[in-house]
Amino acid sequence: MKIKKICIVSLILVMIPASLAFAHKVIIFVWVEGGMIYTESSFGSKKKAKNCVIKVINEKGVVIHTAKTDPKGNYSFKIPENIDSDLILKLEAGAGHLGQWKILKDELVSEPSEQDISTAMKKKENLEKKPSIFKIFTGILIIFLLAMALKFLKRKTS
Amino acid sequence: MHISEGVLSGPVLATGAVFAFAGTGMGLKKIDYDRIVHVAILASAFFVASLIHINIGPASVHLILNGIVGLLLGFAAIPAILTALILQAVFFQYGGLTTLGVNVVVMAVPAVLAHYLFLPMLGKSPTLTFIAGFLAGLFSILFSSILLGLALWFTNQNFFETSLAIITAYIPVMIIEGIVTGFCVTFLLKVYPEIIPKKK
Repeated sequence: MKIKKICIVSLILVMIPASLAFAHKVIIFVWVEGGMIYTESSFGSKKKAKNCVIKVINEKGVVIHTAKTDPKGNYSFKIPENIDSDLILKLEAGAGHLGQWKILKDELVSEPSEQDISTAMKKKENLEKKPSIFKIFTGILIIFLLAMALKFLKRKTS
Repeated sequence: MHISEGVLSGPVLATGAVFAFAGTGMGLKKIDYDRIVHVAILASAFFVASLIHINIGPASVHLILNGIVGLLLGFAAIPAILTALILQAVFFQYGGLTTLGVNVVVMAVPAVLAHYLFLPMLGKSPTLTFIAGFLAGLFSILFSSILLGLALWFTNQNFFETSLAIITAYIPVMIIEGIVTGFCVTFLLKVYPEIIPKKK
């Protein structure tokens, strides 16, 4: 009885800090400024992707730069010389988790305009957005609608 | 545990898709008419579980619940997990649509095995029921981690290093899933025993 009580209390204690949050959405956000490429990596806005591998890949699929994020999930580097291609930055967060961001060739040579910055910030906000209650309920509703359809089909066939 | 798009090679993705397709067909065929609602309830639980984060010290893990889904549904767990994974990919961007087959195999195969291994222990006594649930939860995550490591190894990574790293990372999840599954089946047996499948 005592062991049972301890288990219940332990479980409650473990569950107290539980919160609705991102599970494993891997996000890498990249921008170009003053000849540098800056990256911010996370599993959502608060959980930073620390010490994760970042690979910079050109259009031909060749890895031209590899690095690791710092404890804050950030990494920046100078734009590699003689680049004449779009770049894809891949974040490898382990256990099959991967995020990526594409930088267009033009972005590497020109300074971003106000509009570019606001578009990129909107994209970042969308990526970091928590799943809404509406989406959760829609998902559950779809599951039950599919179950009803299956019930209908099974009844028809039997 | 959801493998992202762009990680696995074509043959691994194709093999996963074939197994998932065959398993889903078998699962749909085996669902009893009277248990379709139970399948929907457990698919919904699986769909929502990955949103629940639990903080353990500096780390943060999330529930998967494939153990309880498999324990209570058997082969019907495959279509249940497939549906939940499609919705998670579309609504929350977890995993991806191309990796769906592999993700289904990784999470549903251990779930089905848990059904055949631990269902006979259910209902014999409250303690055995809790132990069956605990083992089903723990085993499912352990075996899923191994399958995840295998999928990555078949692509290009070092299996032992990868698997070991994944299993180590999922140890807290195994214990938590075990406890949660144990309590859930004990509770369900008391308040809603109809959800526990009848042994054949």
